[in-house]
Amino acid sequence: MYGINKEEALIMHIDLNSAFATAEQQAHPSLRGKPMGVTNRISKECCVIAASYEAKALGIKVGMRRTEAMAICPTFVLLETDPPKYNAVYQKLIKIMLTYSDKIKMKSIDEGIIDFHGMEHILNGRTLEDIGYEIKQRVKTEIGDWMKINVGIGTNRFLAKEAAGWHKPDGLDKIDHTNLIKYYKDRELTDLSGIAERYGARLNAYGIMNAMDFLKAPEYMLKKQVFKSINGTYWYQRLRGFEMDDHETSLGMVGRQWVVKDPSDKDEYLLPCLSFLCETTGMKLRYREVEARGVAVWVSYQNGEYWHQRRMHKSTFYTNQEIYRRALELFNKRPHGIVRTMGIYTYMLTPSQVSQLSMFDDITKVRNITKAVDEINDFYGTFTVYAGTSLEGKKIIKQKIPFGGTEYFDLLLKTA
Amino acid sequence: MDPTIQINEIVDVVPIFRGRASEINVCTPWKMKYGIHEVVFTKLGMRHPTAKGKRMIHVFDVSDGINDYRLEFDAERLIWTLVSMVEGNS
Repeated sequence: MYGINKEEALIMHIDLNSAFATAEQQAHPSLRGKPMGVTNRISKECCVIAASYEAKALGIKVGMRRTEAMAICPTFVLLETDPPKYNAVYQKLIKIMLTYSDKIKMKSIDEGIIDFHGMEHILNGRTLEDIGYEIKQRVKTEIGDWMKINVGIGTNRFLAKEAAGWHKPDGLDKIDHTNLIKYYKDRELTDLSGIAERYGARLNAYGIMNAMDFLKAPEYMLKKQVFKSINGTYWYQRLRGFEMDDHETSLGMVGRQWVVKDPSDKDEYLLPCLSFLCETTGMKLRYREVEARGVAVWVSYQNGEYWHQRRMHKSTFYTNQEIYRRALELFNKRPHGIVRTMGIYTYMLTPSQVSQLSMFDDITKVRNITKAVDEINDFYGTFTVYAGTSLEGKKIIKQKIPFGGTEYFDLLLKTA
Repeated sequence: MDPTIQINEIVDVVPIFRGRASEINVCTPWKMKYGIHEVVFTKLGMRHPTAKGKRMIHVFDVSDGINDYRLEFDAERLIWTLVSMVEGNS
């Protein structure tokens, strides 16, 4: 009736439950079963970035301030993040997933996809549910007995993710043409992965109030009226279990942003921080073996205003100094005001040409010094050698845990 | 509150190396002498590798049934360091 995909469900989504908090409970047996959480750096007003299930049951949510969490539960334990620990869990999870299929894709540090298409012959008659239970057991024996995962199985990535979130924690569910309608009947729009408040409001404006209404909505209406783009068609197909998300995204920009620790309008405070952000951006560029032609700087102010400027250059650049010089030109043009958040990104990325010989002596010198500094930092740890302009910035800006992509995890770990 | 107590002291450790064991149990600290106390570990929470520059460090999170201890083994200098502990009643 709805044109639902009737193929066999061969996509498995694996999601570690409250990954950072559970990893800490695994490492600290005394914290198991207790409300606890993890934050980047402990301070009076720091935020909970991961909460254990015991804490969530009390109403402590991710993003909540420490003081709010302590008001709910005075015995709430908050630990600082330990990136190497989470990386070890992440690597072990990848290792387990790779024993089932080479077609795996990590969506972030705590969730990934196994695509079983073309792997039917190695299943030996076992269902994906059997494999799911086996992976759950292997996670317990190979990573730790406290570790729990949600497993979702679907005909596409979207339904597999929905299935993984159906019965948390420690759930295993499959969504296919036999139970898709039943699943949608109990769902609000914002329960669906990828539909947040703004999309929800847009759908509401066209009389789509819940997941079932969304499924019933005609493709033409979604494409031409609601989303006003091809996204409408993508959603129409995605909801019916057709794969719309199996594509590689190309690297479009590389940068770093920072929520200013003490909002300020003073150059002597902001410039070293900008320099530090440029150094991190340069490291990322070279790590991804690309060079940039464009640089952009943006600032959001205490009063809610936003400023942004970008500039394209004729030649490519990749050194920290070049990025800082170009970013500083833009940053100095910003309107006066107290800066709350600032960021820099580079764009128009092209493959690195560092290995090519240059006719110009000064270019070769810059290349050599950059390579030498990178080698020192690689051997002794990131930021062993860095620019004097970043000296104060390094003291102020703390390294953060990558929540989204895991592309820079190895780079982050070198700081340890 | 963060219940972690930072210690950072080199300690004497008796480890067990098992020839036939799962990857996570190949090497486990068995007991440690810390000051005048001898602590016998009953549970290995997690082991993971990390690096200080290019130096390989093995981190062992262990428990004596009451308190949790973080031990680091420097694979280059062959030194065990008791980095921190979390008291079980915290």
